[in-house]
Amino acid sequence: MTASTNRVEISLEINGRTITQSVPVRMHAADFLRQTLGLTGTHIGCEQGVCGMCTISVDDRVVKSCLLLAVQLDGARVRTVEALSDGDRLSLLQEAFKRHHALQCGFCTPGFLAVAKSLEAWGRVLTRAEIRDEISGVLCRCTGYEGIVRAIEDYLGAVHGMSAQTEVPA
Amino acid sequence: MNFQVTAGVDMPADTDRAIIGRSVPRKEDDRLLRGGGLFADDVTLAHQLEMAVARCPFPHARILRVDTTAAEALPGVVQVLDGRRVAELSEPLTVLRPVPGAPSLPYYALARDRATHEGQPVVSVVAVTRAIAEDALELIEIEYEPIPHVTDMTATLEPDAPVLHPDVLESNLMASNVDRAGEPEAQRDAAHAVLADRFVVNRVAPLPMETRGIVVSWRSGARALDVRSSTQVPHLVRKQLAESLRLDESSIRVVASDVGGAYGLKLGAFPEDILACLHAMLLERPVKWIEDRMEYFRASTHGREAFHDMMIAADKDGRITSIMNEYTTDIGGWNSPFGSSQLSSVTFTGPYRVADAQVKRNVVLTNKTPVGAYRGYGQPEVNFAREVLLDRLARRLNKSPLEMRRLNMLRPEDLPWTTPSRAIYDNGDYLRTLEMAATAVDYERHWAASRKPRGDGRIVGIGLSSFVERTGYASARFLANRGSQFGAHESVTLRVNRSGGVDLYTGVSTFGQGSETAFAQICAQVLGIDYDFVRVHAGDTGASPLNTGAFASRTLIAAAGALKEAAEAIRDKVLVIAAMALEAETDALEIRDMAVCLKADQGRSISFKDIFNRAITGQGIPEGIAPGLEATAHFEPRSASFSFGTAAAVVAVDPATGDFEIERFVMVHDCGVPVNPLLVEGQVRGALVQGLGAALDEELRYDPETGQLMNGSMMDYFAPMASDVPPIELLHTEVPSDVTPFGVRGVGEVGTIPPAAALTNAVCDALVDFGVEISQMPLTPERIWRAIRAGAAS
Amino acid sequence: MKASDFIYHRPGSVDEAIALLGDYGGSARILAGGQSLMPMMNLRLWRPSALIDIGRVSGLDQIEERGDVTVLGALVRYHTIEHDPLIARRLPLLAHMIRYVGDRQVRNRGSVGGSLVQADPTGEMPLAALTLGAVAHVRGPNGARQIPLEEFFLGSYATALENEEMLLEVHYPRHPDHFIFAEVNRRHNDFAVVSVAVLGDCSDGIWRNLRIGLGGVDETPVLARAAMDLVEGTALDCADIAKAAAGAAAEISPPSDIRASDEYRRHLTEIHVGRALRALADCTTENKEALL
Repeated sequence: MTASTNRVEISLEINGRTITQSVPVRMHAADFLRQTLGLTGTHIGCEQGVCGMCTISVDDRVVKSCLLLAVQLDGARVRTVEALSDGDRLSLLQEAFKRHHALQCGFCTPGFLAVAKSLEAWGRVLTRAEIRDEISGVLCRCTGYEGIVRAIEDYLGAVHGMSAQTEVPA
Repeated sequence: MNFQVTAGVDMPADTDRAIIGRSVPRKEDDRLLRGGGLFADDVTLAHQLEMAVARCPFPHARILRVDTTAAEALPGVVQVLDGRRVAELSEPLTVLRPVPGAPSLPYYALARDRATHEGQPVVSVVAVTRAIAEDALELIEIEYEPIPHVTDMTATLEPDAPVLHPDVLESNLMASNVDRAGEPEAQRDAAHAVLADRFVVNRVAPLPMETRGIVVSWRSGARALDVRSSTQVPHLVRKQLAESLRLDESSIRVVASDVGGAYGLKLGAFPEDILACLHAMLLERPVKWIEDRMEYFRASTHGREAFHDMMIAADKDGRITSIMNEYTTDIGGWNSPFGSSQLSSVTFTGPYRVADAQVKRNVVLTNKTPVGAYRGYGQPEVNFAREVLLDRLARRLNKSPLEMRRLNMLRPEDLPWTTPSRAIYDNGDYLRTLEMAATAVDYERHWAASRKPRGDGRIVGIGLSSFVERTGYASARFLANRGSQFGAHESVTLRVNRSGGVDLYTGVSTFGQGSETAFAQICAQVLGIDYDFVRVHAGDTGASPLNTGAFASRTLIAAAGALKEAAEAIRDKVLVIAAMALEAETDALEIRDMAVCLKADQGRSISFKDIFNRAITGQGIPEGIAPGLEATAHFEPRSASFSFGTAAAVVAVDPATGDFEIERFVMVHDCGVPVNPLLVEGQVRGALVQGLGAALDEELRYDPETGQLMNGSMMDYFAPMASDVPPIELLHTEVPSDVTPFGVRGVGEVGTIPPAAALTNAVCDALVDFGVEISQMPLTPERIWRAIRAGAAS
Repeated sequence: MKASDFIYHRPGSVDEAIALLGDYGGSARILAGGQSLMPMMNLRLWRPSALIDIGRVSGLDQIEERGDVTVLGALVRYHTIEHDPLIARRLPLLAHMIRYVGDRQVRNRGSVGGSLVQADPTGEMPLAALTLGAVAHVRGPNGARQIPLEEFFLGSYATALENEEMLLEVHYPRHPDHFIFAEVNRRHNDFAVVSVAVLGDCSDGIWRNLRIGLGGVDETPVLARAAMDLVEGTALDCADIAKAAAGAAAEISPPSDIRASDEYRRHLTEIHVGRALRALADCTTENKEALL
């Protein structure tokens, strides 16, 4: 596709569904998900690429969807928070967030869930410092992060069949 | 945290099935974890338009000319409003918590002839998309004449400062109030040691991750305005919208479904709310406005900015004999729904036994974004001043700051204690929190040691910070004396349903505080129904009884009483119906497993579902008993309750750069009986990190020349990320309050209070040999480096 | 805020991209990772008439060894720099400092080329390329040319690249044996208040090829040339280091902004250049990270 008009047709795989859709070229991916596809679980917090509310998975990498044009999703495989649970049942990751009180207002939660899910690929349980480093692209103003770190540690332990190394608070 | 389930006052006896005090998972979580929350921007209505707002770029300017011709001609643009039109169509915004003694300053949704702060709305546009509305903003020609401005809080009271509201005020001093007791001046003059300093508190942004937002539709035939708003106070927004839009309250329904963080910011109606409503009413089409982050920093209310001139006097043993505090808060260019912080006056003497004291509060106007409520509302500010000055005084007297606090702290037997500003502290044990914090960081040993650099060149310091926090309001009478437009009560409606469950209706919206969960726990406990069978419907003025709203750490204190009363009324009627069905006296019955059974024969029972159906249909209930099973209760607690505690910070300072690591942060805290320990921990940790952010890095700064905000973007405002947060250790005590239902105390704001003083005291302790004194927040490495240089120079 | 409207192109080759740049006479912009460009567009601070998305242009994300030189295509993403074994071996400074760049999501999208063209004076990638003595290979409608990084940055967010030119590759010469990197931030992975990269080779106790790069302390990332001259060929003893640190602090013009004052940046530069050189002197057996 080399054509240049102010609307472009794109095809993508979104949460297991393949769709074709015409989009305005200036629309960012977060608006596309929310307004065009009705996937309002992905939130918008700054449109400056700082807060991370709009974090989604594109081709198995987490990205900020406000810094991505909808047209750049053409041919991509996209996962949003709506695809996380298993039917009516919360996934292990979601259960861990619930158990550890890793959310309060819940506005940032989809962003953290996306990053947490991507950490599976490390193939091991990250240290708490590594987890904090990895999630520092999403801003939470409610929890103070502790519950989120614990939930991710717990979840990775479950996924990789090992209990998280317990760290005694300093 | 290790909480023990402790029965407070009025706790039902059946503790083995008690759900109050248990860390049950939250009601709110499932939907939020699935992306199924319903935030304002998640609502899209058919034929909806979107609004964007042109804002004044100057701190103070005359508006000479507004030309919207080109914008109106842009395809996709539907309507443009300017200040003149808005003044014809609406009344000024109203204030919920006026500054006592201040004149009202009418504030229209759009500026007409003059704007008094950067970010003030000047023109509003609605278009088919937000992008087109923003395109239109670029086509609007507004001719401004910048006029002299003042952004500095001291300069604003100088005789040559431009007066912001000359029609109603002769200067930029909006009001002053004094509270005092005893003879503070005489005690000061007779004291062995007197210290005083000015403590400067930074202007910060509450920064909810969801910005403000509103979606409005108007059906003129029905005279029905349907509002979806991201607010903490839907019933109060309804009141304010009615006043500004010249509508009856009965024409307005406000729904706040999920709210993405609030922290005091989302208290009341803002100009954009009025504008969105006006457009929707004029066009008879739904209008959405979602604040973007650049607007947020200039148009949403800021928090905190103040300076405190604090004086503490002591005798030679270190006993405090007088505290005097004159403080000045900046309200910005105009009044906001809640105005600048008021609670410094209430807790200025902290947890100490001081009978002779005075506090004076001045409120000033400057050409900056208005200040509103923010988590703590004056209590973090005054705590910083008092606790830092107290450490300095202790050092002056060659006493340890721990010993100084120990000596002066109110003892349990001193309580209740009426403070010099006539607040009444309820029961508590302040000293215990101090001792626990001191023990946790081994304070005594550290104090005796020298402040030599470690192997890595850093010097370790420890700081303490004790506090008392008012949670809830003293009474509606107290509020009436201050002109507040709301009460001190909370309310709830409980209504049973045919599925055997209870629907709980509350005007308290859900913004992360966990009220759906805590309310359901109390309802379940009192009624004896399973927690899973209580469904909470929050924040809809069309469904909930009139209430106050969620702020001031007051929700649970008041709502617990309403929940108890309503649930007891339901329970009583359930028992009456069951007694008839089981042919027994109500005394012979007990509630167990979603049913009522005979105490003597648990096999004979009738299910809740059966009882509820009987009540709903009126079939099978005793003669003379009205059908239906529903109760509404309003409850005002008899007094405010005071949380308390002590924080201790351990820091390691690099004296070459001023950089420091927070190696430990210990918080000892008492919020009475925790309804849900998990929620309590979440509230304390979350507020602590906001307090740490404001103490360490967050600060909205204005250019002294241009008067414009220098760092109004997410990139330049340093809110803490996960890696910025030091390890936090929570310890807690549990003294049930004797003035609230179930012995609860408020918990939402407490964490914001102690961090700034604890950290400042720790840094000053580490650098005591350098003569470092710090009286200003935030505590940046550069500020410390400058203090080291100043200490070396003197 | 939403971006102003523009025309979108997605060329399949470098030739096509450069032709498009020519067609727009400099009013178009290249969209690579988008991590710097998109915020500017969303804020309407930039309003290019067209975006040329090079995301599908093949051959721009290669990593190659050419003798001593390591070549990185403009579209090599930070994420690749973080994990690529060849970069870890041949350009350890890059592999190390990449952890200071942005956050996880930004590193998954952002590219080497994008960061050099953005020319953020506090950026880690510009500082690394400058300090390592890299050369930018660019092409425009009028042909190809090479720009040494020492001539690449003209000012804050300004480069020697013409509007119609496109950065294709960055050529990094041999990486000295030892390096130390240190950075001071206001918060996690924020723009640098001051960043210091020092590199050098040591034989028989004498240091050569010493490079001292500084970020956040001037209009562009800078080489502390006077300081470099003071320590080149020395044993990096305490007196050498103190002189170099003072020299570095003297030859910069730091800005005053929301993050720090010019005075404090100058002070930090002296402290951290000194510490970095001391750490460098301590690591003749292996690379060690500077302890800040």
